[in-house]
Amino acid sequence: MIDFISRDQPGFQNPAYLDIKEVFMQCAYCEWRCELGDGSPGVCRMYIEEKGAIRERFPNLWSSCIPSRVESVPFYHAWPGSRCLVIGTAGCNFRCRYCSNSFVAKQDPAMVREGMIELTPKELIRRAKQLGCHSIVFNVNEPTVSLPSLLGVAAEAREAGMPMGCLTNAYTTEESTEMLGSIFSFFNIGLKGLSDTFNRDYIGIPSAGPVLRNIRTLAKLGHVEVTTPVIESANDNELEDIARFLADVDPLIPWHVFRLLPEDEMKEARYPDIDAIAGALETIRGYLPHVYFHNFVGSDWVNTVCPGCGATVIERFSLGCGGDRLISCHGRGNRCPSCGGEIRLLGEKVAWNAGEGRS
Amino acid sequence: MSLAIIDARQWQRVFDLRTGAGVEKRTPLLKMVMDIQSRRPYPGDLDDSGNRWVTDTALDLIEGYDPSFVFLTYARQFFIGRYSVLTDGEWAGMVSSVFEEVNRFVARSGFTPLIVGTGAMMPFADFIDVTRLDGLVLSTHWSARYAGLHEGSARDLDYLAARPEIERIVSRDDFRRLFSDCGGDNSRIPEYLLVARPGYMFRTVGGAFRRVRRVPAPAYTIPVSAEWGGVSSITGIRRLVAEEIHRRKIALIVVEGLGVEDFPWSHQGCENGRDWFYYEPSDAQYLTLTTGRHQVFEYPTGYRYFQEDAEKKEYPLSGYFTSIPENTIASSLGVRGIAVGNRSMLMHMAPGADISIECFARNLFNQGTMAVLHGTEGI
Repeated sequence: MIDFISRDQPGFQNPAYLDIKEVFMQCAYCEWRCELGDGSPGVCRMYIEEKGAIRERFPNLWSSCIPSRVESVPFYHAWPGSRCLVIGTAGCNFRCRYCSNSFVAKQDPAMVREGMIELTPKELIRRAKQLGCHSIVFNVNEPTVSLPSLLGVAAEAREAGMPMGCLTNAYTTEESTEMLGSIFSFFNIGLKGLSDTFNRDYIGIPSAGPVLRNIRTLAKLGHVEVTTPVIESANDNELEDIARFLADVDPLIPWHVFRLLPEDEMKEARYPDIDAIAGALETIRGYLPHVYFHNFVGSDWVNTVCPGCGATVIERFSLGCGGDRLISCHGRGNRCPSCGGEIRLLGEKVAWNAGEGRS
Repeated sequence: MSLAIIDARQWQRVFDLRTGAGVEKRTPLLKMVMDIQSRRPYPGDLDDSGNRWVTDTALDLIEGYDPSFVFLTYARQFFIGRYSVLTDGEWAGMVSSVFEEVNRFVARSGFTPLIVGTGAMMPFADFIDVTRLDGLVLSTHWSARYAGLHEGSARDLDYLAARPEIERIVSRDDFRRLFSDCGGDNSRIPEYLLVARPGYMFRTVGGAFRRVRRVPAPAYTIPVSAEWGGVSSITGIRRLVAEEIHRRKIALIVVEGLGVEDFPWSHQGCENGRDWFYYEPSDAQYLTLTTGRHQVFEYPTGYRYFQEDAEKKEYPLSGYFTSIPENTIASSLGVRGIAVGNRSMLMHMAPGADISIECFARNLFNQGTMAVLHGTEGI
């Protein structure tokens, strides 16, 4: 049995997870299922075994706590135009060769803690209100490496009526996938590629199998969008297969195809060919209508188009990794202004400054 | 009308700078600039050739546009210095390298240089943690010395006053009084400006941080080097250029991260602020340099920048800027001007040059380049 002990909440246990059975302190948070003990912190380096329990090493320490446009995360189909508080911690259970946040995600968390912000869940929610935020979104690294802290934040956020979302690689066990579902109501899941070869060589995991399983699970539990970074000659041949998989889960899933921004170990890689990828995505829109192609400045493929009549319903401007922004929602609520067809959105448009004065 | 050309490598688009709307036209002048962007992809803020890109791009633009005024910024050493552990020898090598680029530019272009250092750097000492106050403290990404306090409580002020790492706490009214003769919109100023002692940096709510190694050092004076004259204040640099521009072609070259201590050319020290206030490398310092008047209030450190980020915000490609600054140096000299540099949006906003080319990098992420043409004949 895992019990969650954080510095601020001694002996804190989440009742929802008391039924997770563990053998010999095998971590059950992600599919690495690391054996923790003798001070070993596992792949993500964020948990240790202590006195027969798995404990978070750096509870309530945040690498990021900043207001952002929800489109920048990106979420295109959840509360358009709203302001979210982006939070993150340190460490990750993936080793993506192109990681944009390697200075936080791939470093030893003990080394980056000096620059991090310590805030209890209550303080974090208070800051979110002071900053006029509508929601909390975990970004930067992988939420699975900080679940006990996030459970605490979720409890406070719930009380404040503040929804929570996250970016996740979904390489979680079935139990912690359920836990993600209890914390967050909207997800952007990184589906990096399908083949074992790609996942081994570029992501550092044996298989995407658990990710695919969890996309199906999370799509039943909450609002899901999916992001795939395209690496030329590595996973660009899988675009159609990924699209078919997503369409099978739910043809209305928004899919963000990212042009790789070569960073970290892939700094010298070619920037993928925009026109070639855009061409390949065109046919996919026939069966997966909400396909977006961005992560570069000024993208032409960031607007939401009505699947029924083709009218532009939501216009955006992409600043690449500098963050996307809403330009205009033309629909009334979630209805196409032209044919009246439904556009699937979680919530409705939220004015940027709607949360000002909440504190 | 101002146009922006984005080059994301092998892909270019033209936009109306103010609205962000796509623009289809392709005049010979636009094509000339687009060709340069295509030939000169930005190598990255930390890349060895980051400063070489400035020189090469500027030389290409001079050949294509024949300006009489050039504004350049070399910033690579500032980015490296901020995030890297460097020995004194390595830093000296960095300084030497940037001046090789300045020399190469001067030799190849024939322009007369006026070189300004934005202030030296010093080792980072520690954070001043202000994240758990009752009030909200905000700073900007590149600032170490200044932060703004909003809705601070009496308890906050007591706590801050007791911190030895804080040099002073300045009320909004006192800050306004210090620059009362400078005019401008001062509605964005926070209730209190917090001022750190040298080496310290405020830990505020903010984005994912790289580990900081160096921060701006005290820079009450900054170095200015010009063969035809001198100035006593940063606000005089613009006049120095204006008085000479009709006699020769001038390049105003900003070298980031260098102060009077490590500036290798003969120079004069000039005031870089007023009383206790000195500029860190920032939009305020650039705008003061290019407008000839202090610009501390326009986008002050610690203001609630995000409140202005609503949908339909104008100038979507220009970060927090909400308008094109008026009466900037290149826009008022009456000669053709260009600007090139690796200090992103400051290049198209601060000098007001007819044509600018800048790196489109945010938080060191390299996304390509952006050129801006401000109402230039031929666009």
